Amino acid sequence: MAKKFMKGNDSIIVGALSAGCRAYYGYPITPASEIAHAAALHFPALGGTFIQAESEVAAINMCYGTAGMGIRVMTASSSPGVSLKQEGLSYAAGAELPLVIVNINRGGPGLGNIAPEQSDYFQATKGGGHGSYRLIVLAPNSAQEMCDLTMLAFDLADRYRNPAMVLADGFIGQMMEAVDVPQAKPVPYDHSSWCVRGDEATRRNVVSSIVLDPHHLEAHNLKLRDKYAACARDEVRCEEYRTEDADLIVVAYGIVSRIVYSTVDEARERGLKVGLLRPITLWPFPSARLAELAVGRAKAFLSVELNTGQMVEDVRLAVFGKRPVHFYGRCGGVVPGGDEIVAEYARLLKGGGHESH
Amino acid sequence: MSTELTVASYKTDLKPIWCPGCGDYGALNPFYQAMLDCGLQPKDTVIVSGIGCSGRFPYFCNTYGFHGVHGRALPTAAGMKMASPHLNIFAVGGDGDGLGIGGGHIPHVARKNVDLVYLLLDNSIYGLTKGQSSPTSPLPMSSKTAPYGYIEDPLDPLAMYIAYNISFVARGFSGKPKQLRELFTQAIRHKGFSMVHVFSPCVTFNKQVTFKTFNELVKELPEDHDAGNRIKAMEYALDRSTLWTGVFYREERPTIHERVVDIQNRAGRFKDLNELLDDFR
Ligand SMILES: Cc1ncc(C[n+]2csc(CCOP(=O)(O)OP(=O)(O)O)c2C)c(N)n1
Ligand code: SF4
Ligand SMILES: [Mg+2]
Repeated sequence: MAKKFMKGNDSIIVGALSAGCRAYYGYPITPASEIAHAAALHFPALGGTFIQAESEVAAINMCYGTAGMGIRVMTASSSPGVSLKQEGLSYAAGAELPLVIVNINRGGPGLGNIAPEQSDYFQATKGGGHGSYRLIVLAPNSAQEMCDLTMLAFDLADRYRNPAMVLADGFIGQMMEAVDVPQAKPVPYDHSSWCVRGDEATRRNVVSSIVLDPHHLEAHNLKLRDKYAACARDEVRCEEYRTEDADLIVVAYGIVSRIVYSTVDEARERGLKVGLLRPITLWPFPSARLAELAVGRAKAFLSVELNTGQMVEDVRLAVFGKRPVHFYGRCGGVVPGGDEIVAEYARLLKGGGHESH
Repeated sequence: MSTELTVASYKTDLKPIWCPGCGDYGALNPFYQAMLDCGLQPKDTVIVSGIGCSGRFPYFCNTYGFHGVHGRALPTAAGMKMASPHLNIFAVGGDGDGLGIGGGHIPHVARKNVDLVYLLLDNSIYGLTKGQSSPTSPLPMSSKTAPYGYIEDPLDPLAMYIAYNISFVARGFSGKPKQLRELFTQAIRHKGFSMVHVFSPCVTFNKQVTFKTFNELVKELPEDHDAGNRIKAMEYALDRSTLWTGVFYREERPTIHERVVDIQNRAGRFKDLNELLDDFR
């Protein structure tokens, strides 16, 4: 099929439908409402279900109910709404339920504003809910990836029986770009060994996150830990641009990675040897690759984010003191221009850069 | 401080930024007048709002204001009243805010009978987020989240309030500001939780529930309606052919604050923490 011109937010729904998802439960919130609008329009047209829940709490628990039956399901929201979903995500991770959640990150904390930020990085990657669990977190940087990574999110959620999040921002959501609509058929997963569908095959299964006996709960948590370790080993995805001979390696995801990408060649023309590493999976984080680069020719690292410094902590953990790791961020909906970022490269590479801001 | 109060005492310099013709203007003006009628001191008055177009209310009132969390105006307002019972506390919000995401709070504030006034501005749509269905959208109204028409039955808020045993239940319409002023005044004077449900059409995103709809269907409760009769109040609330306005139900009963003070009087055996610790088991 030919490319279709569409908004990132619509592209998520195309990805979800391509992945075979036919159940969407949502609650309006700017700047994620368009995902719900697209779902309301397109899900029923393919025999699917769209329900506007009375709140985000209701929506995530509807997801829990559907996921428990082994059926692909999703919800989408923006920061304040995603905060409300944290309880449900913790329970779903505990019960090992595959489901997909999209967060179109807006300005925070609290009501903040409706402009793009990347301030939910901590919440997404460190576990916004309680307990020892992880979310698989994918960070698209184009309308195409809004579709592709939504599909991947369903796949990883099923494969690891865990909630997966697509973490994007209002820019990517609003951007109109050409999207190659995927033709691949979704891989069907057989969940009959654990799900509860109300039929003979699943009669003995139990979906639950309660494990009262301390030893049993410890065993359950260790099993989850091993599952996350396998996911961290096998599922890291990142993209690099001119890192092989870079003095300064810039780490950026989402919309910021597009801005940084656009500065690399220009900076090099000015004698600033920079390269870009873009995490596509925020969890699992490309730590191993960063550790490798930290003992190579790179002299320093710079994390550029739309917040006051979140992913930079993971970059520091990966680099482990082997090189200085700097941070440059704007927030509140203010987005750094290319010039501003190049000026920061110059400051860091031509002296005057102090570690950690 | 003895400057005389006028309607202007309650207004801020901010010009309301609702769309021209929005029903919420029709609720704001009688609200100013009711505060004046009751002689409320702006400095002793707090307006807590949820998130929505209706949630902008506090910006236009020269009182204290709190623009809170979506759906949580009521518990926030209750927290304020517990902390400072001498203040006049209002909660304001929309139908999505108060009956959707925050709907679960109403019965519990009703049980506590917190002495505050809740203005619920109902336009049967999510206005601020640009036109999704709400818990009071009638069937089969279409919206951005209901492109094929809505598929859930609307709530019956008045019947719900009466079933919840809220101690003062009234309904008005922004198109009838004189009556609204009277309802707000009575609500302010009522001791306990007062609910004023206001039909307040959204002229931008709701083309199906409009001023015209209400002008045709709204009618004042008969003068001899006995607001102490809950069954009768429920009958009027459930009437589908006429949308009655006025005070449906009213009952005097203790507020949570009075009950807290009562516990304090009964349990307050110690003059300080040390004395309590001496007795600690
Ligand atoms: C937790 C959370 N979810 C969603 C939103 C987005 N949101 C803001 S206002 C609103 C609903 C507005 O509708 P209503 O309460 O009826 O007020 P109106 O604008 O119609 O006056 C929503 C869903 C939010 N701010 N916070
Ligand atoms: S969108 Fe509707 S509710 Fe909001 S200000 Fe405009 S008319 Fe009023
Ligand atoms: Mg509304």
